[in-house]
Amino acid sequence: MSALIWAVSGLLFFLGLAAVVLRRQLLAVFLGMELMVVAAALALGHEATRAAAGAEGFVAVLLVLAVAAAEAVVGLTLVLRVHWSGRPAEADSLRELRG
Amino acid sequence: MIEIPLAVYLLFLAPLAALAVGFFVTRPLKPEWTHIPILASCVVVTCSAASLAGMVYEGRGLDGTLFYWMVAGDWSVPFGVRIDGVGVSVLSMVSLVGALIHVYAAGYMKGEPGFARFFLVFHLFYLSMIGLLVSNNYVQFYLFWELVGVCSYFLIGYWMHKETARRAAMQAFLTLRVADFGLMLAVLVILGLYRNTRFAALYAVAGALPAGLLALLGVLFVWAAAGKSALFPLYFWLPDAMEGPTPVSALMHAATMVTAGIFLLVRSWPFISLVPGLPEFIAVVGAATAIFAALLAASQTDLKRILAYSTVSHLGLMAFGLGLRHVGAGVFHLVTHGFFKAVLFLCAGILAHAAHKSTVTVSEVGGLWRKMPLTFVCFTAAALSLAGFPFTAGFYSKDAILDAAFAHGGWAVAAGLAIAAGSAFYIFRMLFLTFFGSRADQQTMEHPHEAPPVMAVPVAFLALGAIGVGWLGHGLMRMLLSGWPPSVPPPGLTEPSHAVSAAALMAAALGAGAAYWTTMRLPSWDWDWRRERPALAALFAEDLGWRRVPAACVSSAVWFADKVGRVLDHDSWDAAIEGSAGACRRVSEAGGRLATGSISDSLWWVMTGAAALLAWAGYR
Repeated sequence: MSALIWAVSGLLFFLGLAAVVLRRQLLAVFLGMELMVVAAALALGHEATRAAAGAEGFVAVLLVLAVAAAEAVVGLTLVLRVHWSGRPAEADSLRELRG
Repeated sequence: MIEIPLAVYLLFLAPLAALAVGFFVTRPLKPEWTHIPILASCVVVTCSAASLAGMVYEGRGLDGTLFYWMVAGDWSVPFGVRIDGVGVSVLSMVSLVGALIHVYAAGYMKGEPGFARFFLVFHLFYLSMIGLLVSNNYVQFYLFWELVGVCSYFLIGYWMHKETARRAAMQAFLTLRVADFGLMLAVLVILGLYRNTRFAALYAVAGALPAGLLALLGVLFVWAAAGKSALFPLYFWLPDAMEGPTPVSALMHAATMVTAGIFLLVRSWPFISLVPGLPEFIAVVGAATAIFAALLAASQTDLKRILAYSTVSHLGLMAFGLGLRHVGAGVFHLVTHGFFKAVLFLCAGILAHAAHKSTVTVSEVGGLWRKMPLTFVCFTAAALSLAGFPFTAGFYSKDAILDAAFAHGGWAVAAGLAIAAGSAFYIFRMLFLTFFGSRADQQTMEHPHEAPPVMAVPVAFLALGAIGVGWLGHGLMRMLLSGWPPSVPPPGLTEPSHAVSAAALMAAALGAGAAYWTTMRLPSWDWDWRRERPALAALFAEDLGWRRVPAACVSSAVWFADKVGRVLDHDSWDAAIEGSAGACRRVSEAGGRLATGSISDSLWWVMTGAAALLAWAGYR
């Protein structure tokens, strides 16, 4: 059981990672990030169900979810700003940090 | 705490007050009155110097600190006064001769556009020279030493619209810098090792100094003195310094400033006399300078240049006397020389003034003794004194030095007699050519006129001095004993034997006779050799080729500095800076290429970094 949950969690994380590094659309990259966060939260929640653990794990999971929600607000706003600026909402259109 | 007499304060305060009044009040309001406060200050200073001389004569010299100039950690530099025999004997001469030349200058410079500037700098020089003579430590001495050099620069270049004057000023200043560097090194060595530069303290430890250090200090002092006193290798600035107005030449480049080098040697004598061979070296340099310059003086035609070479010659004679360890004789000659050389210069100035020029040559004047009798009498008195005619001042002081030469024997006797003969030759040649001049084709001045009283009276007084100060020789020696460093044998004048006097007189008579023969009996010989042997004349015009040597030294130093600059600065240092900057730029450009600004690239880097961190953590 535990192994299955870890596997699902790992699969989700790497799917998210793949989306982050391979996809170009900002929305897809953002989705991948959220997926990675959720994968980590899943693993943490699973480990928190062990008998010896206290409630701190669940509290942390809730905190992570709350932070992810807040992050979604900021991230989606950024994506919208890029869209409104007339550029395609793609990772390669943001090059202001070019050295 | 020593009680400092009022006269000491007046030595500084009177000139400072006069300079302040002159600069802030009379210069802007009434520039032609600038000399009034300054002449008043000269009177005060001369009286103060006389009272100090009286004190010292009674053996009540003093060495005290007025205030502390610099204090830092364990060392300090006081600003003090040392009123001792050496200082005051020269001080009395400087203050009196200087004051009379100030009076003369008031007449000579009248109507000049830079009258106020001239008098202010001239008086600043007077103040600096007095400060130099009463300094009680080397740092203070160095301050005034540099100040007199700066004033010399300003006054040689006084007629700054003249190219030659500007060049001469620059040459004098730079040559003096070379010499001053030696004194600066000596002061720094003393300051670094002893934290104290007071003469009194250093005299006490002179005997205990290590031999190497003594030799170093001695050589540095001689180096400094050679430049300031125009001794042989560095003398060439002095004849060119005659571009300045005549009072400047008389006061600074004959009577006082150039003797500062000799004075430094006397002040440092406790060190120099302990270095084996160094006094003899000074004597040799002095004798060589004296003979060489006498030869050149005999070949010059410009009145002031003749006198300038004569000054070089007599400075060499003073160094000769010092080097033969007759310090008293050297100081004595310094004092008498101040009087008679000032007279000679001021008479040359009167002639130039009468001709309305800055200087005249012997071919432009002649047969003036009828038209300018007072100038003629004064000039003759000073010339006799310079040549060592019996019972004039120069007779006593030169015989004292010749006595030293005879006591030393050998080459010194020959050198001393050669100097005596040479001095007599060039000064009588000048006298005959200027005041008699039987040459038919000699142009004479349009309307020669005697100097106005403001110029004639000081010259007459100085001429009396040129005759009379020699009688004070024994008083001078008694003054010199005050504050004389105990480690050095006390100065004294032995009564020159009749043989010495007779030999000196014979040599002088020989020189004078030769001058009479070449200028009066063979009237045009003095010009003909120049015309018939242009190569020889050219050789004399460039000081027997010596003038080329410093020029070559300077140009090769410039060439060398250029090379060094090219190799060190351009090829090495600049190359290192530019190379390292270029390397930095290339590295950062390479790094900058990684920063594409693309988010996916950044993410890749994040991934790689995270993976590397994980791998490292797993490995541990």
